[in-house]
Amino acid sequence: METLKWPIIDFFQALSTGLLVGGTYGLMCVGLGIIFGVMRVVNFAQGDFMMVGMYVAYYLVTGFGILAFLGPYAGPVVGAALAGPIVFALGWLLHRFLISRVTGARVVSAEAEGHYMQIIMTLGVALVLSNGGLILFGSQPLSVQTPLSRESWEIGPIFLNQARSVAFVLAAAFAAGLYLFLTRSDLGKTMRAAADNPIAAAYMGINVDRLHRFAFGLGVGITAIAGGLIASSQSFQPYIGFDFVIVMYAGVVLGGMGSILGAFWGGLTIGLVQQMSTLILPYQLQNTAIFVVFLLIIFFRPQGMFGRVSERP
Amino acid sequence: MLKIRSLDVAYGGLKALSGVSLDVEEGQLVAVVGPNGAGKTTLFKTISGVVTPLAGEIVYKGRSLLAVPPYERAKLGIAHVPEGRQVFASMTVMENLEMGAYARRDRRRRPELLPSVIEIFPILAERRQQLAGTLSGGEQQMLAIARGLASAPDLLMLDEPSMGLAPTIVDTVFDRIEYIRRTHGLTILLVEQRVAEALELCDRGYVLETGRMILDGSHDTLMSNAEVQRAYLGH
Amino acid sequence: MRRSGLAGQYLAIAAFAAVYLLIGWLVHNSYYQLIMTLVLIWATVGVAWNVLSGYSGMISFGHAAFFGLGGYTMTIAFVQFDITPWIGIPLGVLVGMLAGIVIGLPTFRLRGHYFALSMLAYPLAMLYVFEWMGFQEVSLPMKREAPALYLQFNDPRAYMALALVLLVVCMIVSLHVERSRFGMSLTAIKQNEPAASAAGINPLRWKMLALIVSAGMAAAVGGLYAVVLLVVTPQTMFGALVSAQALIIPMFGGIGVFWGPVIGAAVLVPLAETLNAQLGNILPGIQGVVYGVAIILITLLAPEGIYWSIRDRFTSRRAARVPAPSTAGAVAIPAAAPPQQFGHPAADGEALLSLDGISRAFGGLRAVDDVTLSIKAGTIHGIIGPNGAGKTTLFNVINGFLLADTGSIAFAGTELVGRKPHEICRHGIGRTFQVVRAFPRMTVLENVIVGAYVGTASNVEAERFAMAALERVGMADEQAQAIAGGLTTKQLRLMELARALAPRPRLLLLDETLAGLAHDALEDIVQIIRQVNRDGVTVVIIEHTMQAMMKLADHFSVLDHGKLIASGPPASVVKDAVVIEAYLGRKWMERAKDPVA
Repeated sequence: METLKWPIIDFFQALSTGLLVGGTYGLMCVGLGIIFGVMRVVNFAQGDFMMVGMYVAYYLVTGFGILAFLGPYAGPVVGAALAGPIVFALGWLLHRFLISRVTGARVVSAEAEGHYMQIIMTLGVALVLSNGGLILFGSQPLSVQTPLSRESWEIGPIFLNQARSVAFVLAAAFAAGLYLFLTRSDLGKTMRAAADNPIAAAYMGINVDRLHRFAFGLGVGITAIAGGLIASSQSFQPYIGFDFVIVMYAGVVLGGMGSILGAFWGGLTIGLVQQMSTLILPYQLQNTAIFVVFLLIIFFRPQGMFGRVSERP
Repeated sequence: MLKIRSLDVAYGGLKALSGVSLDVEEGQLVAVVGPNGAGKTTLFKTISGVVTPLAGEIVYKGRSLLAVPPYERAKLGIAHVPEGRQVFASMTVMENLEMGAYARRDRRRRPELLPSVIEIFPILAERRQQLAGTLSGGEQQMLAIARGLASAPDLLMLDEPSMGLAPTIVDTVFDRIEYIRRTHGLTILLVEQRVAEALELCDRGYVLETGRMILDGSHDTLMSNAEVQRAYLGH
Repeated sequence: MRRSGLAGQYLAIAAFAAVYLLIGWLVHNSYYQLIMTLVLIWATVGVAWNVLSGYSGMISFGHAAFFGLGGYTMTIAFVQFDITPWIGIPLGVLVGMLAGIVIGLPTFRLRGHYFALSMLAYPLAMLYVFEWMGFQEVSLPMKREAPALYLQFNDPRAYMALALVLLVVCMIVSLHVERSRFGMSLTAIKQNEPAASAAGINPLRWKMLALIVSAGMAAAVGGLYAVVLLVVTPQTMFGALVSAQALIIPMFGGIGVFWGPVIGAAVLVPLAETLNAQLGNILPGIQGVVYGVAIILITLLAPEGIYWSIRDRFTSRRAARVPAPSTAGAVAIPAAAPPQQFGHPAADGEALLSLDGISRAFGGLRAVDDVTLSIKAGTIHGIIGPNGAGKTTLFNVINGFLLADTGSIAFAGTELVGRKPHEICRHGIGRTFQVVRAFPRMTVLENVIVGAYVGTASNVEAERFAMAALERVGMADEQAQAIAGGLTTKQLRLMELARALAPRPRLLLLDETLAGLAHDALEDIVQIIRQVNRDGVTVVIIEHTMQAMMKLADHFSVLDHGKLIASGPPASVVKDAVVIEAYLGRKWMERAKDPVA
C-alpha cells in the first residue's frame, strides 16, 4: 500500500490545485466568453487586458498603497475587484473609438475578409497594450503581496495554498454573481438575446451596438478581476497576456463558443488539465498539454461541451 | 396609421422596390402578397429600419420614420415578427416573451401583458420554461407572434408566418391571427406568399411583383382576381 | 490583358535589387547595414506569408512555426552535426514543407475563427517544447578556418547580398504563382470558395500547395535569420512577435501582391529598429508598439494595405477612360457555333440527368423529400415552386455541396452522389450562383478564365475557352477588358454565365439568373440562354419570374415542401389545380370554383 500512497496523494494534490487554479481560469474564460458570445469577436487582446487588471490591482494595493488601510487580507481582494471597473472603462473606450469601427451589426454580414479585420485589430491592440505595459511598468516581475500566498491549509496530506483558495472562492462568487446577472436581470437577458440572435434582438428594440460596447467592457473587466485574483499567487510581467491567450481560448472552445456560462466550466477543466498534466509531463510542458486538448476539441468536437452545433464561424 | 409613399429601395445590388406606396389605417388588417423575390421582406426591413431607402417617405402616426434609428422604432409601437421566426433558441419561452416586452418596459404593463398573450396561445403556457429552440416549427411561429404581441404594439407586422410550416399548422396560425384581429382590434400588416389565407383575412390587399405594386384593392376585388394569379403563375 | 506584363515585373524586380545593392554598397555604418539586411529578411517572411494568406485568404497567425523550424533545423544541423548552413538551410526548407503538410491536412478542414486559433497554437506549442528540450539559448560556433564555407562573413554586406538573393528568388516564385492558374485559383477560392468548387477548382489541393510553398520560404528565411543573429532562442524563432510581424508587414504594405511585404518591411523595420535604438532604454518595447499601431491604423484606414490604396487612387482616375459597355438592348445575338465547339452530340430526348428518390433533411425538416425526376438532354428545364420549397437545396445536392440522405443521381451514366463539387464540375455540370462575387480589380476575361481551368492543360487554351464563352454571352468585345468592379447587374449576370460556360459543360444549373432584372435586360438574357441551349447545352433553371420562365422552359418540375407535385409542359403545369393550390392556397381554388362569398 505504501508504494501506492504517493501517486494517489500526488493525484489528489494535482486535482485540488487544478480545481483552485481552474476557478480563476473559469472566471477569466467567462469574460472572453461574453465577448465572443455577444459580439462574435475573437479578442486577441484579452490576456493583455488581464495583465492591465493585474497591474491595477498591484498599484492599488502595494504600489501606491491606496488600499493599504484595508489591511493585508482585504486589500488584495478589494484591489482585484476594483480592477474590474477600471479595465471596464478602458475596454469601453477602446471599443468606442477603435473596435466598433470594424465590428458590429453591419460587419456581421460582411464577407470573409470583413470578419478577419476584427481579429487583426485586436492583435494590434494586444501588441500596443503589452509593449505599452512594458514601457509603463518595466519588465520586473511583480506580485501582489499578501501573507496568504505563503500559507497553506492542510487537509490530510493535501496542501491548499491559502491565496489560491481565497481566489477560488472569490472567482466562484463572481461567476455566480454573473450567472445571476445573466439569468435574472433585464440587461443580462438582453445580452443573452443579442448573443443568440442579433437580428431578432434589433427588432425587439435592443440597441445592439451599445450592448456590444457594454459586453466588451464587461468581458475585459471580468477577466481583469480574475487577473487581480491570480496576482496574489503568481508573479506577472507585461507579457503575461500571451501566456494566457491560449488558456482562455482553450477554455472557451471547450465550454462551447457562444455559451457564456459554459466558458466557466471550460476554464475550470483547463485548469484541471494543466495541473494534472504535471503528473505525467514535465513541468515546462504543462501548457503544451493545454494545446493538445485545445486542438483535439477543435478537430473532434468544435462545439465543445455546451455550444451549438450550428455555430457560425 | 402608416403611410408609405414612393419608396425606392436597393438591396443586394438590385432595385428591390420601385415607387411603392401603401396605406394602413388603424384597426385594419392589410395584406401584401406577391411571388418570391417581389420585395415583400425588403419592405418590412425598410419599415423596421434595417434597410435605408434611396427615396420615398414612411410616415407613422404622423411622424417620419426615416429619422428614427431602428432600435427606437420598436419603442414607438411597431412590432416586427420576422420571416423564419427567429426566436431566441437558447432562451426559454418566458424569456422570449420578456424580450418582446423589452421595448415597452417603461410602460410597466408587463405583469398584465403576459397572461393575455398566453391566453391567445395556450400551447405556450404549457411550455413556459422550455427552451425555444426545442419547440416545433408551428410552436415557434406562435411564440414569435406572441413575442411581438408582448410589446403591446400599435402596429403588428407579420412576415410570411406560413413559411416552412406544414399546411395544417398554417391553418392554426392563421386562425390565431384572425382571433387576435377579432378580439384585440390590433392594426396588422401581413406579408404572405400564400395568397388565399392572406386575402381571406384582410380588409385591404396589395400585390407586389418585382418591386412594384401592381394591384391593390379591397378583400373582395382581389380574391379570385385573375391578375393576382397571373403575377404568381404567369397566366 | 495583364496589369503589367511579366517582363515589366522582372524589370522592376531587377531595378529594385540593383538600387538596393547600390545603397548597401555605399552604406558603411554596420548598424545600418544590419537594418538593411533585416528589412530584406522580414520582407521575405512577408512574401512567404502572402503566398498562403494573401492569395488564398486563409489568414495564418502562426507562421513562426515554419520560420522557427527552419531556423532550428539549420542550428541543430550546424551545432550538433557540424553541417554547414549552406546545406542546413535547404534542409530546413524541407522540414518546413513537411511541417506544412502535417499542419495543413487537418487544419484546412477548419473554418474562420477555428483555423486562426489553431494556427496560433502551433508555434506556441513548439516554443514550449524547444524550451523543454534544453534549447534556451544556442550560439552558433565561430568557424575561423573556413568561414565562408559556413556562411560566416566579416563584411555584413555579404549577408545583405544573400538576403537579397533569397528575397528576389521568393519574389519571382511569388510573381509566377500570382500570374499562373495557381494564383488565379487561390484568388477564386478567396473570393468565393463554393463558387470556385463548382467551377472545378479543388480548394484543398491549392491551399495545401500554397501552404507548402509558403512554409518552405518561411523556413528558408528562418535559417538565414538565425545565421545573421548567431544566437538562437525559442522566443526569437517561435515567439508571438514573429508571427505578428509575419502578418503585419504584408498587411501593412499590401496584401495579395508580392510588392506589399517589401513596402511594409521597408517602412516598418527601419522605423521600429531606429526607435528602438534611440529610445529603447527609456521606452523598452517600442518596437511592439510600432507594429501594433501600424496594424491598427491599417485596419481603420487602408484594410488592404498601402499598395492597393495608392494603386486604387491611380486606377480610379483611369477608370473613366475604360470603354463604356454597349447599351442594353444592343447585345448582338451571336451566331450559332459549329457543332463540335459547344455541347455534345448526345441524342436529344435522352435522359441526361436522372434523380431517383433523392431526400435531404436538416434536423427534422425534410427540405427535399423523395424527389424523382429526369432532365432530358437538349431541353430547358425549369424548377419552380413557392418559397422554401427546397429548390436551392436540390441544386446544392446535385452540385455536391450537400450530401443526399437517400437516393441516387445519374449523369450520363456516372453516379454523382458522394462526389465533391469540383469533381462534378469536371464531369460536365456547370452552375451559376445567385450572389455574384466577382474579382473587382480584374477584367471580365480574368474573371471568366477561372472557370476554364478545369479540363484545359495550358493557360492559352483556357483563355481561348474563356473568350469563346464570352462570345456566347455577347461580351467578347471591349467589355472583356472592362474591370469587373464597374459592371451593371446584367453584365455581372452574363459574366457569371460565361464563367459557368467556359469549361463547356453539358448541363448548366442556373440559380435565379434573372432575379430582379428590368424588362429589357431580362429579354436579352432570356435570348442568350435560349441560344446557349440551341448550341447543345442542357439547362436546368430555378427562377421565380414566371413570365420569363413560361417563354424559356420546355418543361416544368414543381416542388412544394420538398416534394415533386407536378411535372410537364409549362402551359399545362400552371393550370394544374395542385400547383395553383401550392402557390395560392387551397382557399383560392375553393373560391375560384365557388365565387359566392
